Amino acid sequence: MKRVAPSVTRRSLLAGASGVGLSALAGCSERFWSRAENTSPEQVELTIKTVPADDDAIAAMIMSQLRENLQAAGIDATHEPITEAELYRDVLIDGDYDVFVVKHPGIDEYDALHGLLHSQFVAERGWQNPFHFSDVGVDELLERQRTTDGDAREESLTELFDYLLETAPFTTVAYPDRIGGAQDHLSLSRPPRQAIEFVDILSQEFDDGPFDRPLEIGVYGEALTDRLNPLVVDRNRIQGLLGLLYDPLAHRSTTDTHEPGEPAAYEPWLAEQIDWDDDGGLTATVTLREGLRWHDDERLDADDVDFTFRFIEDTSLGDVDGTVPAPRYRDRQTLLEDTNRIEVIDDRTLELPFGSTARPAAVRALSVPILPEHIWEPRSEVIAERQTRALVADNDEPVGSGLFEFGETSMDELVLEPFEDHVLRSTTVPNRPNVLENFPQFEGIRYQIEPNVGAMLDSLADGAVDVTANAVPPDEVATITGASGVSTTTTSTTSFYMVGYNIHHPELGNPNVRQILSQLIDREYVVSEFFNGFAEEPARSNELFGSRGQTQLDGTESTMPLSVFPGSDGEIDPERVRQLFVEVGYQYDDGALLK
Amino acid sequence: MTLVSVVFDLALVVATMLATATLVIVGPRQIAAAIRDARWRLEVCLLPLAVLALVLFIRWSTVDVVIRLERRVLGNNITPQLFELEQLLFPQNPVTVLQTFASPALTEFFVFVYIYGYAFLLLFPFIAYFALSNMDDLSTLILAFTANYAIGLSFYILFIAYGPRNFDPLLFEPLLYDVFPQSRSLTNQVNQNTNVFPSLHTSLSMTVFFLAWLTREKYPLWVPVSGVLAISVVVSTMYLGIHWFSDVVAGTVLALISVYIGRNYTVRGINRSIRSYLDSRFGDRGSAGQQ
Repeated sequence: MKRVAPSVTRRSLLAGASGVGLSALAGCSERFWSRAENTSPEQVELTIKTVPADDDAIAAMIMSQLRENLQAAGIDATHEPITEAELYRDVLIDGDYDVFVVKHPGIDEYDALHGLLHSQFVAERGWQNPFHFSDVGVDELLERQRTTDGDAREESLTELFDYLLETAPFTTVAYPDRIGGAQDHLSLSRPPRQAIEFVDILSQEFDDGPFDRPLEIGVYGEALTDRLNPLVVDRNRIQGLLGLLYDPLAHRSTTDTHEPGEPAAYEPWLAEQIDWDDDGGLTATVTLREGLRWHDDERLDADDVDFTFRFIEDTSLGDVDGTVPAPRYRDRQTLLEDTNRIEVIDDRTLELPFGSTARPAAVRALSVPILPEHIWEPRSEVIAERQTRALVADNDEPVGSGLFEFGETSMDELVLEPFEDHVLRSTTVPNRPNVLENFPQFEGIRYQIEPNVGAMLDSLADGAVDVTANAVPPDEVATITGASGVSTTTTSTTSFYMVGYNIHHPELGNPNVRQILSQLIDREYVVSEFFNGFAEEPARSNELFGSRGQTQLDGTESTMPLSVFPGSDGEIDPERVRQLFVEVGYQYDDGALLK
Repeated sequence: MTLVSVVFDLALVVATMLATATLVIVGPRQIAAAIRDARWRLEVCLLPLAVLALVLFIRWSTVDVVIRLERRVLGNNITPQLFELEQLLFPQNPVTVLQTFASPALTEFFVFVYIYGYAFLLLFPFIAYFALSNMDDLSTLILAFTANYAIGLSFYILFIAYGPRNFDPLLFEPLLYDVFPQSRSLTNQVNQNTNVFPSLHTSLSMTVFFLAWLTREKYPLWVPVSGVLAISVVVSTMYLGIHWFSDVVAGTVLALISVYIGRNYTVRGINRSIRSYLDSRFGDRGSAGQQ
């Protein structure tokens, strides 16, 4: 046998093979180690929470547009529908969300932003800083607007809104018009929502009145007779109901139009008179009306007012280390310098110390509902970690001091009986609010609860209800105008659709990202297509942050860049949005926005 | 129109449908004979009926607790997963596809089927199987219904799921409550809008249809009638934007399981095996104690 050119020996073959193998493995192991040592960048993920269409079709539509646009921008966006009560618990108590879309009932005064945004509230629950936002610049401006008035306050506010355009902790999509239906013979000027607006209807002189029956109000929704506790976040959803049961010291006047630097006009309610004194710190001397009673016939006195403010600051009344503040009205309580320095002079008189707070902000404290000490004091009992009974109580049989007391309730109705012992029912009471001039034209109030809008509007057309008090979607307006004997009423309001960001989310902590996200809703398209024009776009910088003053604030014309929609007809131009993200330092891989 | 008038209306229409179907499918003579000796028939079915009633009673009496448990304690919201799964599987969501055919006449038909047709479909087999010479089929039906409810309701506790119309009103039309808002007062009595997975409309309708097939020799005419109705109910749940395709699939699977349980077990048998199991445990412990 002849060996023919043993050019490749076994040894050299082995050597060659192992050499190739080793060098290949070396490349492989480099890649392997690099993979193992560095996690590869992942796509940005966001979960948007909002209520189901049953609860609020418009919020669900806004969310739909936002979801599609976020996905087009390369973000892995998921959307989770969740009932209103649970949404409030997730967003306002547990902080368990990335982005939420919700209809905010409206900000009464610029100072309400103090509660929404001040970093002192980052650890608190409720509408106090649900975004976990903290910015020393914003804090300082929020404090400055609180302690100044006149031009100085206006300037601080303008500066605040300028600054917010850059930091965008939340954004406003649109201000929906309030739409309602009412029987023609009532000739109502606006659909009612707030307690004082219902009182206003009951005080109108009607051609065929007064009526010896209750005012029939149509509402719709699930579980509307639950949670009559005014302090909890998931409290009863019938607007104005708790305000009718629980009186404040003073009601904001329905006709108020104040300048941003001036205090709003208030009608004295439980208070007969309020005297302000600005010597060495602002104080308000409140004189209560004579003969005030709670619905259970106990006397209402200055101690109850003092108690209410102390209770809101700490519902455990000192039983725990630190405090357990109420999730509502807490911000208004902080207008007071120190609740321990409230001075009860006698049964009817007390002094509220506001310290450095100036009057435009301070008057907001007057609208806090006053609670009966004899009912709520026992509820200060601590029942779980940072939880008092007051924060979980259903308050099934509310005892308030309002013009109406809680009557009866069933699946489809809720009745408020007139509280005959209320001092304001007497026409001779001193300093009686103007709004009560012809009060009352109806005997009590009866809410008729329907399962949905369509059923509520049927009841209106049948004449079973006098007026509707829940949002009527814009596409249902034709249903009202089509019925005989009833008419539509609309009015512009301060309630607004809000998109909120959880600053604890790694990407949402970046103000540049929040700024871009706030641009991804086509506000013009939302107003024309979802609302059929029954809404207004935020047109000034203050309006982009839920603050729609009664009169214009100077220097708020610029809304750039939040109001610029990078696309058209509700759909973004993905290239433009990618460019925006790239400009602030983000990268894309195969169309996905990377962390 | 209040709940009372909606229920009255429903009762009237469904009673008419039941009477007609009884005359045509069962026949006047057979039903008259069955009514004459109703007593033993009822006695035979008393136990399964009691169990069904018990399941429904538990459901009714624990609604508040169950809602809290479902929403606050467990809180498994699977709506986004259902939506994304279907986006992954289909080029277009089946609900959207069905809704592209929407017309007022079709909507009216499906609303009718969803409410009246469904009630009829569930009630008629009780009459039909009651008129048979033995009560095996009726017992099977009752046990299968019980299984449907018991399994379906436990899913409702475990998962929160909203239907397409609630998820995204831009992609899916809420047709039912647009056309017939008052029907909500009826559906509200029975269920919450967080309970769509699986579809009990589907599972109960399909259960009736599967049982109709198994009893085809006794009521040949009932097979096509129940088939058309059941399929219409199933389609209507999606067409009206109430259920996802996944709910319907899960509902059909649930129907198969329930029919299997109904055919292969009896309440008496289950009761006996539980007892003997307990006895053996008890006996074991007793003997252990003696030692």
